[in-house]
Amino acid sequence: MADLIHLTDSADDKSQAAQYVKTGDFELDEDILIDVNDVGMRFRMPTEKIDNMKEYFIKLIKGKLKYRNFHVLDGINLQVRRGESLALIGRNGAGKSTLLRIIAGIIEPTAGFVRTRGNMAPLLKLGAGFDSNATGKENIFLNGAMLGFSKREMQKKYDSIVEFSELKDFMNVPIKNYSSGMLTRLGFSIAVDIHPDILLIDEILAVGDAPFQKKCAEKIDSLRKEGTTFIVVSHSMEQVKRLCQRAVYLKNGKIIQYGTAQEVADRYLKECNEV
Amino acid sequence: MEKIKKSKMKANALQLKKSMVVLSSMVEKNIKNQYRRSVLGIVWTVLNPLLNMIVMAFVFSSIFGRADIEMDYPVYVLSGTIVFTLMRVSTSESLTCMVDNYDLLTKTRVPYAVFPVSHTFSSTVNFGFSLIALIIVMLVRIPNGAEFHWTLFMIVFPWLPSLMLFSLGLSFILSSIYVRFRDIKHIYSVFLTLWTYLTPIFYTLSTLNLSETSLKIMNLNPMLHYLNYFRSLIMGVVPSLTEHLICYGVGIFVFAIGLLIFNLSKKKFILYI
Repeated sequence: MADLIHLTDSADDKSQAAQYVKTGDFELDEDILIDVNDVGMRFRMPTEKIDNMKEYFIKLIKGKLKYRNFHVLDGINLQVRRGESLALIGRNGAGKSTLLRIIAGIIEPTAGFVRTRGNMAPLLKLGAGFDSNATGKENIFLNGAMLGFSKREMQKKYDSIVEFSELKDFMNVPIKNYSSGMLTRLGFSIAVDIHPDILLIDEILAVGDAPFQKKCAEKIDSLRKEGTTFIVVSHSMEQVKRLCQRAVYLKNGKIIQYGTAQEVADRYLKECNEV
Repeated sequence: MEKIKKSKMKANALQLKKSMVVLSSMVEKNIKNQYRRSVLGIVWTVLNPLLNMIVMAFVFSSIFGRADIEMDYPVYVLSGTIVFTLMRVSTSESLTCMVDNYDLLTKTRVPYAVFPVSHTFSSTVNFGFSLIALIIVMLVRIPNGAEFHWTLFMIVFPWLPSLMLFSLGLSFILSSIYVRFRDIKHIYSVFLTLWTYLTPIFYTLSTLNLSETSLKIMNLNPMLHYLNYFRSLIMGVVPSLTEHLICYGVGIFVFAIGLLIFNLSKKKFILYI
């Protein structure tokens, strides 16, 4: 395990942050599951939305195609080891979800690169990958496919997924008739049942009712004991402290603190109160 | 180093397996969604081209039917329709697929190419069902001169892959453009109508009495060649080597261009969707 380095309040020093969150060589150390290397994400945003050819060419000829550069992430370095649980915290627009999506391999960063090892289950949105016309049962198989499991493999998991989600009576109902709580349950049940090496969770656990949230927390605990690595984006500092060992504080696309979940969450809360 | 190579290969194999599983479930989903909640369900895939053919044959047989078409007219119309439909459905469904699957693109890790490919595959499966309709019509029309030849088996190979390559390439191109310019949807729908009428689906080129130059222009239409190829197989004639070269040449060329455009523009998809 790496030493915990607590960046002090002079955390503006980016290079210092870069040094300490690296704990080994990804190529050689099989224990490192996620390796984020100097990742930056820059969106080139047109100042106004153009989506038809006429406007595009008129603007192009007039030389009025203006873009504004927008740095969502800048120089992010991060490593996560097997069995670690990491929270990404920060205010809205700090780049947490973008970083999570880059780690999931959904978008490519404009600078730097990310390497990962093992099977990854991204839970980035309620019911992503669900087909609203299909029934709950069909969706379990469809979602399983998105995570890389064939029909036969999912057949074995089917019963335990249904049991965990407590949606046995609704399996033959099209999921467009599901409530949002039911969708979360189904999505979460599938994602945890495939026993991924890495589980990415983006603010979705706050939806279910209290008993189900408790059940989720217990499940996450047991998965963590089995060695699953987590990255969680959350605004609930209570949840962060309970679920995660470490945390990264993102502000304006930069890591300004990396440390134990307790410390980072406390600092975040303190700064939020100051605003 | 050996170890790293091995783990990379393992990761690639896993990725490939994932793509295949996603692809097959997407194809299944496409086909199921087509006729979901309809009483006859999958039967419509056979019934639909059949009914369409009956309308077309009814409307056009008095105009073109007595012309010098060697084939029985209903068989002629149906063969034209199902071949053109394979290309039309594949491309027009693929056109919007990137935008339609916004949720999947932004929230899950699915290779982008899966979407256009799945539409081409599902329209190929539909084409398979339409072949059943064609065989039914041919059986019914035996008294009117429809015949079965062994060359029918050549539809599966080598004919089908060449048209699939062509449709897939076109799907790649159209879906890439649509992400950036939504106008293409309307342009393409008009173009498809034009294309339908310029392809000898329910008439023959000889009935048109075209001049040499316009005949040459008509011959530039790739669908005409795919259709001629298909029809000569029904008639029991093995197409010439030139015809093979044209069909595969165009198919591979369009596919390569499509793949290139798709790969070049896919990084930016997420910004414009």
